[in-house]
Amino acid sequence: MRWSRIAPQLALTPALAVTAVAFVGSIGWTAYLSLTRSRRLPEYEIDWSEWGRQYDRLFRDAGWEISLRNLVVLGLGSALAIVFGFVLAALIDKEKRGESLFRTVFLYPLAVSLIVTGAAWRWILNPGLGAQSFLRGLGWDVDFNWLAQGDTAMYAIILASVWQSAGFYMALMLAGLKGINSEIWSAAKLDGVPMWRVYLEIIIPMMKFTFITCAILLSLGVIKAYDVVVAMTNGGPGQSTWVPAYFTINALSAKSNLGYASAAAVMMLAITFVIFIPLVALTAWQQRKRETV
Amino acid sequence: MSQFSVSERAAASGVMSQTRAPYFVRKKKGITPRTIAILVFLSICALFFCVPLYVVVVTSFKTMDQIREGAIFSLPTIWTLEAWDHAWNHACSGIKCDGLKVGFWNSIFILFPSLILSISLAMVTGFALALWNVRWAGAFLFLLFICAFVPFQIIMYPLIVMTTTTKIYGTLWAVAVIHAVLAMPVLTLIFRNYYKDIPTEIMSAAMMDSGSFWRIFFEIIVPMSGNILIVVLILQITSIWNDYLIGVTFGGLTGQPMTVNLANLITISTGTTNYAHNMAAALLTAIPPLVVYFLVGKLFVQGVTAGAIKG
Amino acid sequence: MPAVSFEHIVKRYGAVTVLDDLNLAIEDGDFLVLLGPSGCGKTTLLNLLAGLLEVSDGRIMIGERDVTELDPKDRGLAMVFQSYALYPTKTVRGNLKFGLAASKLPSEEIERRIAWVARMLQIEPLLDRKPAQLSGGQRQRVAIGRAIIKKVDVFLFDEPLSNLDAKLRTEMRLEIKKLHDELKSTVVYVTHDQIEAMTMATKIAVMDGGVIQQFGTPDEVYEHPANLFVAGFIGAPAMNMRNATLSVENGKVEALFKSGARLDVADYPFKSPPKNGANVVVGMRPEHFSIDDSAAAGQGRFSLPVQSAERTGSDATLYLTFEGEMLALRVAPDLAAGLKVGSTVPVQFQTDKVNLFDAQSGQRI
Repeated sequence: MRWSRIAPQLALTPALAVTAVAFVGSIGWTAYLSLTRSRRLPEYEIDWSEWGRQYDRLFRDAGWEISLRNLVVLGLGSALAIVFGFVLAALIDKEKRGESLFRTVFLYPLAVSLIVTGAAWRWILNPGLGAQSFLRGLGWDVDFNWLAQGDTAMYAIILASVWQSAGFYMALMLAGLKGINSEIWSAAKLDGVPMWRVYLEIIIPMMKFTFITCAILLSLGVIKAYDVVVAMTNGGPGQSTWVPAYFTINALSAKSNLGYASAAAVMMLAITFVIFIPLVALTAWQQRKRETV
Repeated sequence: MSQFSVSERAAASGVMSQTRAPYFVRKKKGITPRTIAILVFLSICALFFCVPLYVVVVTSFKTMDQIREGAIFSLPTIWTLEAWDHAWNHACSGIKCDGLKVGFWNSIFILFPSLILSISLAMVTGFALALWNVRWAGAFLFLLFICAFVPFQIIMYPLIVMTTTTKIYGTLWAVAVIHAVLAMPVLTLIFRNYYKDIPTEIMSAAMMDSGSFWRIFFEIIVPMSGNILIVVLILQITSIWNDYLIGVTFGGLTGQPMTVNLANLITISTGTTNYAHNMAAALLTAIPPLVVYFLVGKLFVQGVTAGAIKG
Repeated sequence: MPAVSFEHIVKRYGAVTVLDDLNLAIEDGDFLVLLGPSGCGKTTLLNLLAGLLEVSDGRIMIGERDVTELDPKDRGLAMVFQSYALYPTKTVRGNLKFGLAASKLPSEEIERRIAWVARMLQIEPLLDRKPAQLSGGQRQRVAIGRAIIKKVDVFLFDEPLSNLDAKLRTEMRLEIKKLHDELKSTVVYVTHDQIEAMTMATKIAVMDGGVIQQFGTPDEVYEHPANLFVAGFIGAPAMNMRNATLSVENGKVEALFKSGARLDVADYPFKSPPKNGANVVVGMRPEHFSIDDSAAAGQGRFSLPVQSAERTGSDATLYLTFEGEMLALRVAPDLAAGLKVGSTVPVQFQTDKVNLFDAQSGQRI
């Protein structure tokens, strides 16, 4: 074998090793542990008559149920960021004035840690000293005490997430909008079609790949959501803002229940794949489309 | 042959038009109401985005006495750096009260080895996958693509065990190495996609001239990677600096990055919360990535979109 | 009454003046081609007419209406774009319909028009397809259909054939010409392709550097180019041009080339009486030469060495050396095949087809 063939393969070994050990091996390890009765320390014996006991418990756990429900709520709520991002992108694209200023302002939250974001919003939402007391001082009877109440605490997390990520979706949408042939706009102008119809019937359908990409990225981001929960509510009040990522780490660190945490992690992976498969299909579809056109 | 020079004529006519009165006097088209509406709406949104930053900044300069009055949006009556000093030097993280400076230096010492490790590994791997005919490259790429999306929780425990057995758990090294490992798939894909667009002629010529993997890498590929390197650098600096989960998991008590210090400070539930201290701490944590962002914002956008889409 | 007129048009982008005091008027039913190299301002002029750009100064009239201040949709025109700009998410029918969205026509009328357009352009079977499923030529037809369905008086075309291959381009050229004859509408058509201009136009405006170099019928522009730019731009192979001096002696007017060769130009329609010793450029079209073995000596006869010959199937171009430079001749292909490189051939130029330009200003004299 020639050296020029061996060298690149040698160069790939570190990456290959990392992938094999840190990703593939570790996933297998965790999946295996999820079948055992491991608690604080790992146990490597599987009781095959009861291999699904961790999962069984998981599905009956109210905390897990809350986590899943919150996952959906957070996903739907954060979807506002996509809508908001599109509106901002469309307006910026329409009115070129101040484009770079607005883009800079809308995107800066993304550069900041979610812990910082959480700290800031936590302070603004402080019932006694924050925005609520300020607005009440102005004579508006508003209720901003979201963080202290279990049924509204998720709204606070959604608010912070939307604030943090809307600029990101705006940037993706802006890139999508700039990809649209300017003659399409000219044609619509000459046709005298009202702007809202142009967006609704032409531009948004043309950008469906951008929208789907955004939706998938958002879903993957929501599954990973952990920092923002820690910083805003630390899961509370009670378990009302638990999400799967929080549940899993809580099971491992606070409850020291390795087998249980592993089962929850496997479920997280499963949810990721449910979202991930359409992404792969989409990429393949897009590629094929590009080739045929 | 005396041809007309286009530029000359354009220049000449440009001079003419400056001195001539308009042929048709028409009313100046001002800014339309629609433009005003759009700009007003965008400005309101921009305000909404700026409010948290504003609140954090003004709070960090206030005295606790003023904060207790409840006017969150007002400017400090007395500007004081007390909170900044406290956050930097005396803020408590857990039982230690040495301030955020500990976390700051930890973050710095995590950042550099992690950057070098993750970027060099990803560059070499991306280069080998993009430009050398490795038979299983396609399969490996697909695997990396999947790995890029794997939630951290599924590999968390095994990584803890591995870092414990190699005796780096609880040190800055553990955090740095885990960052490099977790960033590897995405960064490799980014570099691979960038190198893939290098014309094959360049590679062919390089192969004829030298044929050595490492010589081509260092003499041709690395010098050509300027743009993508900066984009990736920015992406990595911000994501490593802003990370909380890896820091809290692998940093133990001594290797905590700044974000972990901050989280400990703001989630503390005992005693009265000093919001001025919290906000100063938050701002201190946010400043490094914000500086990067405001210096090279455009590249930052490229970085995060590349990280998101190509990953 | 002119159908479209540009009056004193000025277009500036910041400090750069692209068009300066441009005037142009065409009649109802004219097929105006704006012809010129890229960057000459032809597309800018078209976009000004469409309302996609705003004039810096001047006035644009369509019929008797001053449309300078009107929105594109209110100008009563339709446009075919270079990239076709079909709405990719709509079917062909949807594209045609969308173009009428603002017109508030009753739906029966819209259906009637769609049927009419589809029949005329033979796109009936394609009505329910999306643009991505159409070939280049089909997309082109749909784009034209989307314009003519509006039944406006003025149609604009922005290099509509530049994305098609040569064969389709010829087909579509004929088709657009036919449509123009049928619809009797006014067309403003932008292209850099002189063949499109020559075959379709009733009027050509040759532009360069933001200035209309010549405005006239295709024949005028071809036979009597107003200046060296037009003479050089139109015609392939390009017109042969040589510097010469005029010699005016007792009623005889001749062009004296540097090599000593002479050409009688006494019959040339000079705009002003020719001056002895004036520096001129002599322009001779390749097709106005013939190879002539007859012994008769006379005006416009040269004996020139063969440099090379190019056959293009139906035609051949023969390159001779004249005044130290290549002289292109259009000849029959079999004739070109019989000639040896280096041999000398007798050539006859039709002296009545000569073009003379002032060497200094480049203008026709």
